[in-house]
Amino acid sequence: MGYANRPLVVGEIMSSEPRRLSIYSDGTDHQYSQFVSPLLTHLERTKDVLIHTSTYLVFIAMVQVATVMAALSIEPNPALAIIGLVTFAVYMGDRIADVDTDEVSNPGQSSFVRRHESVLSVLTAAAYGLAIAISVLGGPVALGVTLIPGAFWVLYASDWLPTIGSYFKRLKEILVVNSVIVALAWAISLVFLPLAFADAAFTPVAAVIFFYYFLDTFVNTEIPNVNDVEADEAIGVSTLPVVFGVDRTRQIAYGLDIVLVGFVVFAYLRGLLGSILTLAILVGLGYALVLAAFVGRTEHESRLGIAGEAKHLVVMAVILALTAGGF
Amino acid sequence: MATAISLVPLLFISIAIGSAATILAWRARPEPGSKPLVALLVAQSWWSTCIIFKLRAPALDAKLLWANLAWIGVVAIPVAWFLFALEYTGRDEYLRPRYVGALSVVPVLTVIFALTGQYHDLLYVRPTGAELNGVVLFEQGGPWFWITAAYTYILGVFGMIPILGLLTSDAVAFRGQSAALVVGLLAPWVTNVLFLAGLLPTSGVDPTPIAFSVSGIVYLAALTQFRLLGTSPAPNKRARQFLFDRMQGGAIVVDANDYVVDMNDSSVRILGIDATDVLGGPANEIIPEYDRLPEDGALPGHLTIGDELGGHPYDVTSTRITNVRGTPIGRVITFHDVGEHLRQQQRLEVLNRVLRHNIRTETNVIYGYVSRFEDDENAKTVKERALRIEEIGKKGRKAIELFDKTRDRTEPKSLHSLLDRCIESTRDSYPKATIERSQPNEDVAVAGLLRQVFSNAIENAVEHNPSDTPHVWVTVEMEGDTVYVEVADDGPGIAEYELAVLEDGTETPLKHGSGLGLWIVKWGTDIAGGEVRFTENDPEGSVVTIEVPVLSRDAQVVASERSD
Repeated sequence: MGYANRPLVVGEIMSSEPRRLSIYSDGTDHQYSQFVSPLLTHLERTKDVLIHTSTYLVFIAMVQVATVMAALSIEPNPALAIIGLVTFAVYMGDRIADVDTDEVSNPGQSSFVRRHESVLSVLTAAAYGLAIAISVLGGPVALGVTLIPGAFWVLYASDWLPTIGSYFKRLKEILVVNSVIVALAWAISLVFLPLAFADAAFTPVAAVIFFYYFLDTFVNTEIPNVNDVEADEAIGVSTLPVVFGVDRTRQIAYGLDIVLVGFVVFAYLRGLLGSILTLAILVGLGYALVLAAFVGRTEHESRLGIAGEAKHLVVMAVILALTAGGF
Repeated sequence: MATAISLVPLLFISIAIGSAATILAWRARPEPGSKPLVALLVAQSWWSTCIIFKLRAPALDAKLLWANLAWIGVVAIPVAWFLFALEYTGRDEYLRPRYVGALSVVPVLTVIFALTGQYHDLLYVRPTGAELNGVVLFEQGGPWFWITAAYTYILGVFGMIPILGLLTSDAVAFRGQSAALVVGLLAPWVTNVLFLAGLLPTSGVDPTPIAFSVSGIVYLAALTQFRLLGTSPAPNKRARQFLFDRMQGGAIVVDANDYVVDMNDSSVRILGIDATDVLGGPANEIIPEYDRLPEDGALPGHLTIGDELGGHPYDVTSTRITNVRGTPIGRVITFHDVGEHLRQQQRLEVLNRVLRHNIRTETNVIYGYVSRFEDDENAKTVKERALRIEEIGKKGRKAIELFDKTRDRTEPKSLHSLLDRCIESTRDSYPKATIERSQPNEDVAVAGLLRQVFSNAIENAVEHNPSDTPHVWVTVEMEGDTVYVEVADDGPGIAEYELAVLEDGTETPLKHGSGLGLWIVKWGTDIAGGEVRFTENDPEGSVVTIEVPVLSRDAQVVASERSD
């Protein structure tokens, strides 16, 4: 069999020769291949690293904290760094843990993680360790909030305390509860960390921001589940798409985003949110509604997930634009 | 001079490193020692955290609270360390809840005394107040403080003992791990001693948790460089114990004063005793004829254990155990059940008698009766066959003698005289055969049982040669401590199926050789520690090469063996 294929291989190599010669005959092409191609390869590789290591999520999470700080008029504080470090540790840690299951759904990422597993493992541990050390500066509340992801790791580990571990593992499988836990943990971290460092009280404005991030994260957690219907079904995890189907999930996403629009407008009318922030969030929600329309209707579901996360960049961009514009 | 405030950055570093190391240790589960290591690192980080909270707390009450909560970390560390050392070195049987609970009694009481400090002076006397830099100063510790301190140090030392044992390990990785663990432990311990002795200018702040960050770095390095939890010596101890317990023979360890200190499952079964009853008791009460046992070596003859109805014979061997200076510290007495072996030996003896006596007698009778008949071709054939039956019986007897354990099978004999006898006896039986011999002048001693091997090889070469004048060449060559005896002939060669059967090492009713001669050559050479090869001769015939070790080159030894 191997020998039968040989002439074909030789033929391919020979046919490629004249093409290579023509490239060398053209100086522009040569320069292009010498400078632009490596640059593009480099950029491509950087993009892969940013996506595979969840570094883009780190940036988005920090933008979310910055939004909270702007909304609550809190000076920039170490909460920004902590959220960044914890996000990296949690998401990268998950990718290391799921490297086997990701092999089918996301082979590029899986092979990247496998290649650099030991370095990434130490980096995530160091990131979380550093986050904990910094959080001590903010006092017991900041430390407690920073420890939330760690607490979940411990609770989910069924070999640690078998009864509690399996009980919490089951929580992951229950409809809505799983996403509510993620959304709650995320909203607590985003709002309470900056407050703890600023030694500020939990005001009604903070409550509004908290609810906004809670519901928003809930929607953003359920939408990527559209991709994993079969896998989730196989392992017995109940998600909105598994129980209600993709179309109904899209409608629920619309509904929740519209609820958020109403809630934000209500908060604005009650004087809890400023006009710049309200407008920015509404633009963000508009963007989210457009994206929701693509749920289950695109072949690029993973890009849809990233686009969903990027909503927070849209909100920040609007805030910066409006502030710079003197509104 | 280091002040309390200047320690703060170091405390932060110790938290960061401690937390990171915690995660790495957590991920190493279920490797032996990972859980206690997680507990140790969490306790260390918690201690550092409480010190920072205490220093930054605005009010005296809050400072007191954090100082008291810090005790949770302080007292958890030695327990975690001790459990880590036990589990890491394979003593995980002590990690049961009741032992962990017992070890935690002093730490739990300490934390309770710390949190209820306003009602008593057990742990330390009342705080005297706060200094300007925010450090709470306490008076000297109360009585319980010293109990906790002593307990902490005792667990620290007890944990180090098994870890230090790894330093003497043969495996480099384990020595590296052990050294890392000891350095990781010594750093905070030495710091704590210096702090308690008042030798560290830290304005009353205990810098021990900072020193634990050194431990954190060392543990991290050990995790990545020496694969601290990936390559674990934990199975070693278990494996040795497992082998000791499960070995087929009985084994009893006695100390220098002849008291039983350990015994395996088989010895319990053999002696029909309960281990808990006899451990620590005198050995002569449980081992029959104990005083007859040699200090070191095998007991002559057998020892029968059990009652008259179910007694079993055992080979008993005593092996001396010495310490590093060579002083005897005890013995291991092993019992090997030889009942089956003795029975087999008895069977062989019966077989031997049958082959030697009965077959010869019966064939002689047949031969005698046939001689009375007319001397025709048929009678001649019957006679020949009767002689062959007797020959088979003789070979069977020789084969049994090879396996007879009562004789010293490797008794050295002069090679030259062995070959002399074999060639002589073959010439007597086959006067028409020509046997040529070529050998070096130097004689050596080889295993005496090879006489059967050589004689069968030479006789086979002649016997199976249909020529009227069979020719055999016996060549001896020496190479170092190995001697090669080649027996070549000009016969028809050895049939392929005969060699195939020998290679398989066994026969079946469908696949078997024609006699016992080649088997005796193979078995005898095997027992003498050698090898036998069969090749074709040029232009015809076969070559049997017997390769065996030289037992002695000493001329005197060889000469004395020759005279036997």
